[in-house]
Amino acid sequence: MRTSDTRRPPVAYRQFPTALRFSVRDQTRNRLAGLLLVLFVPTWYLVMDALAGGEVLEFKLFATGDVLRVDGGRLTLITAGLNCVTMIAGFVVFDAVRKALAFDRRLVFAGYGQATLIGAKTLAVVVVATAIALYTALAVLFFWRPSAGGWCAVLAGFTVIALTYGALGLLLGVVVKRDLEGFFLIIMGGLMDTFLQNPLGNPLANEPALQWFPSFGPMQFAAGGAFGGTALWGHLALGLLWAAAFSAVGLAVFWIRTRSRNRAR
Amino acid sequence: MPPGTVLAPPALEARDLHKSYGTHQVLRGVDLTVAPGRLVAVVGENGAGKSTLLKSLAGVLAADRGEVILHGTLGHCPQEPILNGSLTVEQHLRYFAAAQRLPGPERGLELVRRLGFERYLRTVTGELSGGTRQKLNLTLALLHDPDVLLLDEPYQGFDWETYLRFWELAEELRSRGKAIVVITHLVFEQERFDLLADLVDGRLVTRTTTATSTEEAHRADV
Repeated sequence: MRTSDTRRPPVAYRQFPTALRFSVRDQTRNRLAGLLLVLFVPTWYLVMDALAGGEVLEFKLFATGDVLRVDGGRLTLITAGLNCVTMIAGFVVFDAVRKALAFDRRLVFAGYGQATLIGAKTLAVVVVATAIALYTALAVLFFWRPSAGGWCAVLAGFTVIALTYGALGLLLGVVVKRDLEGFFLIIMGGLMDTFLQNPLGNPLANEPALQWFPSFGPMQFAAGGAFGGTALWGHLALGLLWAAAFSAVGLAVFWIRTRSRNRAR
Repeated sequence: MPPGTVLAPPALEARDLHKSYGTHQVLRGVDLTVAPGRLVAVVGENGAGKSTLLKSLAGVLAADRGEVILHGTLGHCPQEPILNGSLTVEQHLRYFAAAQRLPGPERGLELVRRLGFERYLRTVTGELSGGTRQKLNLTLALLHDPDVLLLDEPYQGFDWETYLRFWELAEELRSRGKAIVVITHLVFEQERFDLLADLVDGRLVTRTTTATSTEEAHRADV
């Protein structure tokens, strides 16, 4: 479309803080996700803790090649926490992004800067994912008291996987057409991804194939910190790379789907 | 035309718009010119392509061929209200005021009062009735006082009083030189419009609102 209009009143309402506030509000009004945080997270810890028991498991740290002999119950609490975070962060962001896509497009047509909206949405995902990870890491303390450094490693691992699945939720939110497809992909993806990292009854654990899954880096970092006293920053960065890749693709699709379609000929 | 009169440029021009969905040709060369201060109704049967035409004019949908030229700012009211169910009416006004870079939500609040739904300002839109959602849908399109208005079935779901308030508002906008295109599948009060444009076989056929004769044309100028 061609337009002769060049008038623009001064910016009084700043776009970025407005979009950030409303995006965070949008992602935190999901009552089911709130219920999952309050009820599902402790229940899942309780169930997994009871199922795993105190059996000693071998867990391989790929960065050092060391094989740690760890308490299976505690290791399973980490994978249970990772699993909760993948599901809740993915679900919250997917639901909010998918429902608001047409609305966001209308905002862009009304004059919102696409980059501004994308920046605000991304920051909102970071805020919400970090809050979910913090809650889940705090809840684990009812079942297990690691050292301060170990808990920080678990928190960092949870935060990175929350960002990764938040970004996956964003990507699915702009790509998938129906709720069910998105929920299925997030739940099954998260379940498989985190389950495979745990050597408890899993023949694939400690195998190199695990490196190709998103929760590999966060799991290595969390377990390395909690049981091995090491900080495997490279593995944490690997998790962030997954988050960056998912969000880059998701935001590119968002950009395409919210732009003006008219071409003057 | 008196000598020395300067002809104002049209507010909206569409030339030779084509749009197909697969093999189904919906628009087959639509021409439309709307001058400032004119009110045009686009009518047609269900499935004639009215909403496709309006979306193409608004830039929401890519036309396969053709050109749309807009002089001034645009307001588009889609047929289905596009709102965020988790935000209140007031938050919508603030969000779109930010989008339009307006100094504040005052214009929106005035429109809310005029359309009579100020009691819902703090209600999330997911809990509103269809009619009230439509009022907000319209308000968002008018928020920045645009020069060209594209309204797709703007009064569907309105009660009679709101319908009359809508027309008061439309008359005021027209008197201030705004160009308005209204899509409707039923025209109850033809005299309210300057021109009726029938979308038939993918082209616009103009019909004057005071005469009964139909002018077969592929070009609708008003």
